[in-house]
Amino acid sequence: MDLLILAVIALSALALGLLVQRPRPGAALPPWPARTTYLGGGEPATHAWNRFHVRYYPMTLLLIAFEMEMMFMYPWAVVYVAEGLKALVEMGMFLAILGVGILYAWREGALRWQ
Amino acid sequence: MAVSWLSALAARGSVPVYPAVGPAMADQVRRLALEPDLELVSTPRLASVLLVAGVVPSSADVALRRVHAQLPRPCGTLWYRSRPFPELDHPQVVDAPELIPGALRELHRVVLHSPRDQEPMLLPDAPPAPFEGRGDHGQGGEGMMGGMPYGRPMAMTADDLRDGLALDAIDFTLGPFFRGLPPGLVLELRVQGDVVQQCTVQAPPYAEPVAAPFLQALERPVPIVALELARARHHLRRLADALDLAGLDALGRRLLRAAAGLVLGQRLRWLRPMLKGSGLLASVGAGRGVLSDTQASEIGGSAARAAGLSIDARMGDRGYAQLGFEPIVQPRGKEVAGDIRARWRQWLDEIDQSLRLAAHAADIDAHTAKIGVVEGPGGRLATDQPLPDTGPVLETLLPGCEWNQALAVIASLPLAAAATPGAEAGA
Repeated sequence: MDLLILAVIALSALALGLLVQRPRPGAALPPWPARTTYLGGGEPATHAWNRFHVRYYPMTLLLIAFEMEMMFMYPWAVVYVAEGLKALVEMGMFLAILGVGILYAWREGALRWQ
Repeated sequence: MAVSWLSALAARGSVPVYPAVGPAMADQVRRLALEPDLELVSTPRLASVLLVAGVVPSSADVALRRVHAQLPRPCGTLWYRSRPFPELDHPQVVDAPELIPGALRELHRVVLHSPRDQEPMLLPDAPPAPFEGRGDHGQGGEGMMGGMPYGRPMAMTADDLRDGLALDAIDFTLGPFFRGLPPGLVLELRVQGDVVQQCTVQAPPYAEPVAAPFLQALERPVPIVALELARARHHLRRLADALDLAGLDALGRRLLRAAAGLVLGQRLRWLRPMLKGSGLLASVGAGRGVLSDTQASEIGGSAARAAGLSIDARMGDRGYAQLGFEPIVQPRGKEVAGDIRARWRQWLDEIDQSLRLAAHAADIDAHTAKIGVVEGPGGRLATDQPLPDTGPVLETLLPGCEWNQALAVIASLPLAAAATPGAEAGA
């Protein structure tokens, strides 16, 4: 019953939304000069569709790499109490190697915002 | 019914005005920002009324028509001391500055109540280049990147200043009525993402009139009080422009109000903490728009002093010597001298200094002694003033800047020539 009510609400919201934003049949697009980019009297020489670099992507890759590393820490946390000092040292080594990776990425400028 | 009720409601709200500012009108338009129910919007798309202030040179006529075309209909145009388009049947003209706010409100009301009487579109309703029906999908050409969708060629790959990640470069011209630039300045720009790659100045900003005390000081000794208060007002207005540009228009209005009501004896102690708290200085980053020593000495004035050069026409003046005047110069220490922030800090320091000098000068009734040369608000002002060529400065400073920094560089430099009476006649 609850599902039915929810479905009715969702469907009527959808229908209302479509009804409100349905293009009116008589409405024309604004004239060409009104549609151009606003440049204070200037003119664009090229079309507005263009490709540009997502320059934060090295940072994104770095984030994903270090997030994956966290996955190794879950099983480690489970056996940590049983294994004791040995587990701590092993995880320390693992994190140290990763830390060198961060320093390398830092030196290469991957953390610089541009 | 519903529409008329809505337009009645809209007519009671504030009037969104887009100002197209002509020569020597920047200050008068700035004053409108203090009117309670006028809103100076940053793009014509948000406006219902276009205010054309001043006689726009014929070279900017097409640009003005483009701005006019970009106001959403219904809209109206108010011409203040200007030449209306000949195609308009009944242009709304006003000649007295005090009548502008009332005329704008009235025009807004009329526009909303009789939307049928629309202003005609003055540009042909056609795409910039024919494209419809050409190519496989009617996109205007062959292949993925070919053709001219919607009448303009696609952007193509070009080298990037920063690194090897080069993608499409967009070329466009900006101005002369772009709100982020001084009126009249036309830039030809190439950007990748939001970084300026290349900049050419197509037209310099319109000359702006200098406050009366500076012009009088060229001819005869004048009270230093008047000069220094005018200087403080000028710097306050420039800082207000910078705040406006950063989107802090309420703070900008506060500065404009302070400039309008500035009297002898005020110290404006709130100004420095307010600017610091606003984040304006932090927003542009350090080391952007750094002037070389040659550029700084060519521009002169507060921009040169911000770059660590002790250049000031007040130094050789006996009147100022009486007051113990020493020019303020930004230190060439750990902060990068001569960048955007140094110039804004310099304005802040000089506002303080001017208010102190004015107070001191009033006590001993000091007058200027030198005639023919005066330290104007933007720099050295002389009777035989050559017009500065700011083109090369922008062309070297802007490439490499992100968009907000590029606009901040422009807002921190005295780019508009000083309109002395002789220069005005020629313009």
